Amino acid sequence: MGLGRFFEVVALGVKNLLRNKLRSFLTMLGIIFGVASVIAMLSVGAGARHEILSRIQELGVRNVIINSVKPPEEIKPDTTDTQYKDRYGLTFADADYIAEVIPTVENMLRVNRITQRLWYGSKRLEASVLGVEPEYLRMFGLESGRGRVFTEVDANNYAKVCLVRRGLVAQLETVEDPIGMWLQIGGFPFQVIGILDDAAFRSHTRKALNIDSTTQEVYIPYETSMRTLGTVTLIERAGSQEFTQVDLDQIVVTTKHEDEVLRTSQMLGAALGKLHDRVDYEIVVPLELLKQSEETQRVFNLVMILIASISLLVGGIGIANIMLATITERTKEIGIRRALGARRRDIVLQFLAETTAIAAIGGLLGCFVGIVGILGIVELTNWKAVIAPSYVMLSLVISCTVGVVFGIFPARRAAQMDPITALRFE
Amino acid sequence: MARKVLELDKIVKTYGAGDSALTVLHGLDIQVEEGEFVGIVGASGSGKTTLMNIVGCLDRPTSGEYCLNGEDVAHLDDDRLSLVRNRSIGFVFQSFNLIAQLTVLENVELPLFYSRTPRRERHKRCLDLVEAVGLGHRTEHYPTQLSGGECQRVAIARALVNQPALLLTDEPTGNLDTKNGEEVLEIFHDLHAQGRTILMVTHNAEIASGLPRVIEMRDGMVLKDTGFGTGTCVRGAVAGGSS
Repeated sequence: MGLGRFFEVVALGVKNLLRNKLRSFLTMLGIIFGVASVIAMLSVGAGARHEILSRIQELGVRNVIINSVKPPEEIKPDTTDTQYKDRYGLTFADADYIAEVIPTVENMLRVNRITQRLWYGSKRLEASVLGVEPEYLRMFGLESGRGRVFTEVDANNYAKVCLVRRGLVAQLETVEDPIGMWLQIGGFPFQVIGILDDAAFRSHTRKALNIDSTTQEVYIPYETSMRTLGTVTLIERAGSQEFTQVDLDQIVVTTKHEDEVLRTSQMLGAALGKLHDRVDYEIVVPLELLKQSEETQRVFNLVMILIASISLLVGGIGIANIMLATITERTKEIGIRRALGARRRDIVLQFLAETTAIAAIGGLLGCFVGIVGILGIVELTNWKAVIAPSYVMLSLVISCTVGVVFGIFPARRAAQMDPITALRFE
Repeated sequence: MARKVLELDKIVKTYGAGDSALTVLHGLDIQVEEGEFVGIVGASGSGKTTLMNIVGCLDRPTSGEYCLNGEDVAHLDDDRLSLVRNRSIGFVFQSFNLIAQLTVLENVELPLFYSRTPRRERHKRCLDLVEAVGLGHRTEHYPTQLSGGECQRVAIARALVNQPALLLTDEPTGNLDTKNGEEVLEIFHDLHAQGRTILMVTHNAEIASGLPRVIEMRDGMVLKDTGFGTGTCVRGAVAGGSS
């Protein structure tokens, strides 16, 4: 069939649809919703995938992050002693052992953290002081919005410099330029050299970085932290003192290659299991986060595919139903066309063109509804969505297929009519 | 001797099977030569309509041979029959059978559409034909906007558009008032004069009496056939006129 003829048949189909606009529109509804949900499914799915991928990129695909975790509260020693000392989490020995024993480790970053009082003039705050290596700042994108970050030079000189969050500066209620001002941390003077961007502290990163507070982190060089502040946190409560000793809050292990991440995490688990008699650590594998969310994604997709399929099925049945009615209505026309020389396949094509046109137009409207819907959802929620042109193409292919599949039966039925009976039909 | 357009040989048509079988045509032998204008008359139930369906290739005979324009069409499949209808037969029905959703021009174009004629050529040929039946000013009208006589003229134009070997018409004046009926009949006579072969089923004795040849049917058989003779002079006249 020539292209011109094809367009003529399609144009005839569209013309017939336009004759009954309301009916055609109602017939399309199923397809519209089906396609809209296909579009929504694809773009939300892609958005989620995109977000997870970028999250993993942030946390490092080759990384395994080990966090110290306070084990579930055990029964405190039943003493009247007002002093209580707790010790848990990762130790220096763990770090040395990992560096020595596990062959896939390329690099290892230690993080020390204590809770300390921070004085600025007469203002006092409880701050989380994290001792990190300059490499850590680079790896997790902790960049200074103002000022600078500390470097290997600062680290080697045990410089008493710190990076603070914007929120902490606000809490100090100072009119001074925060860059260059001095803070007293654990009795030592530290100079603020930079303000950290908040962009790096999105919820997922914070969780993986084992940060619970939203504003009160203070970053200082690891070496400085070891030399000056040590590893013991003192918590004073009404009348009692509680010492908590955590050698290392976090160890970030970078493997040589992406493929080794899972094996490394298993080895780390085994090693730590041997070194610790209780589970006071957690192993976070960014790659596994991907797997977990892919699992969630799969369930979500399954539900959406189901919804979309049901809508498309119902839409298709609606089309078939209306076409059957149309064919009865147009029996006479079919008879006339047959008498004038239309072959059965000409009749089939004519009605297929109509069902396909109705489905394709429905598909286009569905794309529109779907995209508008998605933009609305993105606007109202914090979901991410990625709309690609290929989804529109796919949706159109799907809807045309529905049109053909559900048009075949009515079209064949029209073509199988006896021309004599059809001609006599009134 | 002129070429035979229609050769029916022992045509039998039986509906149903077994005890309930009903034989409508009992071995018809009819031959029509090129350029003849033949009326077929007979009471209801005489088999006229069945005969028209078979001649029009809408139906196949149960047995017997049928040659249309020299081609054996009794045993063709559905696709081939469609082709034969398209190329060799022009139908003019009592109730016009125009498609209401198409314009006059589009209705006339239909046979050409199915014979795969390119669009431009289709337009040109159809415009000429619509012009010829006196409806040049109505090409973009829809059938519902036309009078009965105009509708039938459109139908005639449609029947002629593929230059069929045989024009087949069933009570073409049945739905028309006397004046329009006479006009339409006049067109058929003109077409006959131009050398067309026409087969017309009619109840109307007056119309039948004006035709060069009349076949009367009863109970599925030919009761009376006025024979070739009457048409000869007309053919002769046409032959003379066209040379």
